[in-house]
Amino acid sequence: MDTSLFLVQLLNGVQYGLLLFLIASGLTLVFGVMGILNLAHGSMYMIGAYLAYYFTTLTDSFLLAFIISGAIALVIGIIIERCLIIHLYKRDHLDQVLLTVGLIFIFNATQSFVWGNDPLGVEVPEILSGSIGLTDIIEYPVYRLFISLLCLVVAATMYFTINKTRLGMMIRAGESDRAMVENLGVDISKLFTIVFAIGVFLASLAGIVSAPIVSLVPGMGEHVLISCFVVVVIGGLGSIKGAFIAALIVGIVDTYASVLLPQVSSMSIYLLMALILLAKPQGLFKN
Amino acid sequence: MSQTILEAENLCKFWGGLKALNELNIQFKDNQLHSIVGPNGAGKSTLLNTLCGAYPATSGVILYHGKPITNLKSYEFCRAGIGRSFQKTNIFHNATCLENCCIAAQQRIGGSFNLFRKRSKNRQITEIARSALEQAGLSARADIRAAEVSYGEQRQLEIAMVLATSPKVLLLDEPMAGMGHEESQTIISLLKELKKRYCIVLVEHDMDAVFELSDLMTVMVDGQHLITDTVDNIRNNPLVQDAYLGNDDEVF
Amino acid sequence: MSIFSNKSEKIFIYLFFAIGLFIPLFLEGNTFYINKFSTIIILAIFVMSLDYLVGRTGMITLGHAMFYGLGGYIFTILAPEYEAVNFWVYTFYVMLISGCIALIVGLIVLRTSGIYMIMITLALAQMTFYFFADSVEYGGQDGLFIYIKPETSIFGLSFLDLENETHFYYLCLLSLFNCFVFFKVIMNSSFGRVVDALKENPDRATALGYNIFHFRLIAYVLSSSLAAYAGYLFALQFGFVNPSMMSWDISATALVMTLLGGLGSVYGAIIGSFMYEGLHYYIEHLTEYWMFFMGALIIVLVLTLKHGMAGFLNNLSGGKR
Repeated sequence: MDTSLFLVQLLNGVQYGLLLFLIASGLTLVFGVMGILNLAHGSMYMIGAYLAYYFTTLTDSFLLAFIISGAIALVIGIIIERCLIIHLYKRDHLDQVLLTVGLIFIFNATQSFVWGNDPLGVEVPEILSGSIGLTDIIEYPVYRLFISLLCLVVAATMYFTINKTRLGMMIRAGESDRAMVENLGVDISKLFTIVFAIGVFLASLAGIVSAPIVSLVPGMGEHVLISCFVVVVIGGLGSIKGAFIAALIVGIVDTYASVLLPQVSSMSIYLLMALILLAKPQGLFKN
Repeated sequence: MSQTILEAENLCKFWGGLKALNELNIQFKDNQLHSIVGPNGAGKSTLLNTLCGAYPATSGVILYHGKPITNLKSYEFCRAGIGRSFQKTNIFHNATCLENCCIAAQQRIGGSFNLFRKRSKNRQITEIARSALEQAGLSARADIRAAEVSYGEQRQLEIAMVLATSPKVLLLDEPMAGMGHEESQTIISLLKELKKRYCIVLVEHDMDAVFELSDLMTVMVDGQHLITDTVDNIRNNPLVQDAYLGNDDEVF
Repeated sequence: MSIFSNKSEKIFIYLFFAIGLFIPLFLEGNTFYINKFSTIIILAIFVMSLDYLVGRTGMITLGHAMFYGLGGYIFTILAPEYEAVNFWVYTFYVMLISGCIALIVGLIVLRTSGIYMIMITLALAQMTFYFFADSVEYGGQDGLFIYIKPETSIFGLSFLDLENETHFYYLCLLSLFNCFVFFKVIMNSSFGRVVDALKENPDRATALGYNIFHFRLIAYVLSSSLAAYAGYLFALQFGFVNPSMMSWDISATALVMTLLGGLGSVYGAIIGSFMYEGLHYYIEHLTEYWMFFMGALIIVLVLTLKHGMAGFLNNLSGGKR
């Protein structure tokens, strides 16, 4: 593989990894603070993508679609938390799995009903289309750079929020000792609603932003969810830093594998996960 | 002269910078009840947890019948004969009292990998379980679900389960926790009987009970051993009185 | 029979197998329904194995379909293409090989618990899915075909012709019965005593000296082998295997059936499978988007009827456990 291909694939891998981080961070945030494993997290990614498709088609403006879809995703997150997730806090893991599986069924049926089963696509927005020359020979799509940049901005925002703001402090405290936080007068139920809404918003954001570069098909949510699990398992559950590093590793491995070893490309990240688990059963960064 | 069954030699348990147990040297003898007392945070529960293998020791040695067992896995401690009861009731709530003891007994007797033989068919296990219940005074409640017996009876069940494992050493973590004076009497009589046959290490806050039962007492402060002596000597020891001053623990 | 835990279980099992025994007589060669029942019975075996794992041993897996698929694939790969092999011999092979695979998977997976286990089992199942879907020698996405069904002779005597739908149905029914009896026996055994203990209070079980990892591993291997057996029957019924047998939604759906029937009841697996498939069949005639209603039903059940149908029936008959 020559250098230019190597570099392009590296950029692709990083971009994919950053996107995975966006999704995985939402999942791990919700689990870390609330103790809830939301299997419908992938569905939120799918919802983001399909909403982006819908509003782009409707308004002809990706930017508008971006904003509206994001807002709707936040609202959906709040509704789900207030109506359903709220009942899971005192229940065991199995109840979480089953309820969120029910949600997946509902979301998938709704998607099928509204948009059908044929693959759909969204056009890359004008201002971000085209390629930019990175070196003499390599050209790289602007939109993919935009995605990577966006993810980095979100990651930085997350870092800042968690480490430097009051909300972040509550999140960190809630992660380690829920009961204590409650006793300190923090409105836990409001915190949980916020955290859950942000968590699923992150997944939807990833979906919105992916819409122009992936094919919108039924089942796209679960596919991404499982990749997300791999990231979280490798990175260590509850650790956002771990999710970041693991996501990059997974993104890069998956991208290179599909180029270098097409026969095992789909399996590659799972093999990676299995190997890491053999060495470190709690993931790379135990929380 | 009683034999030393269990011994801690320079035992340390550190949680990062916190020295929960610091260079502890204590010997526990057979057929004796040896209490561990001290103010809150002294490390009493940590000591029990380390002696039964729930917490791996940071350094030092635990000797059992003279042999070091410090590096055994947690489940191997019970198999060796070191039984432990819990401060917070930790029974199998959905099983009957008898079944609770059967579970305990089966580990020692064996047959756990028998997939086909009906569990009730193993008479030996049932007998040991019944005997343990009887020793703990729970024979009448054998077939009642553990969740349905009274709190005091659940504490008795805690001890019965340990007895069913045919231990040599009983590590009892506040067996009278949450019990009133009358209920405690049952446990106290039980322990008086048991100490004739076992080496008992007792952590307890009920000082009346401690004074009544103990052959030896060890006072711990801040993870360290302060003094080990008979009840009378401890009572009159100014160092011990110092250690308790300013705490809301029981006063002598 | 003392293998029953309560009255409703006893009544249900007697009723179910009595009806099951005589149904083909009433259907008079209506092979569509006989086949449908065979399929659901095979599913019930799979779900029962999952219920044992999740409901009785407390290990939540989202990758159980992996063994379902493996059961089918192991047979198809091992058996020579144009020869009728012996059903019983290959049953042994399938279960042995899947058991070995389960042992290896268990060694990786069972050192984790709770959330991790859910994610890892799902990921490993997905890996297996891709292994077959991307493979060339194993048929890729299309899978493999079984051209000749096995013959069922024992010592030269053969009673069942697997090409005959009714015979195959009785084989499935017999298998389900054996599966049920097997699980009840091991649940009532000394081994079952430890499994109950470690499900309810793993810390105490460890404190009592049990190495709970060993017990979980054995339960996992047993359950997975039976899941593989179900997959093997599925493959024989339809004459093909493909990677979709291992997809996550088979695992999730099985979990739902377990919920419907009553987690941990084991016989509830039969109820759950028939309920789910029945609802599926019924609602699908009304609307293409039956999944929506199934999803809603699941949510309602999780929030209200916690113990599924078996719990409901148990309460009706005033039973214990």
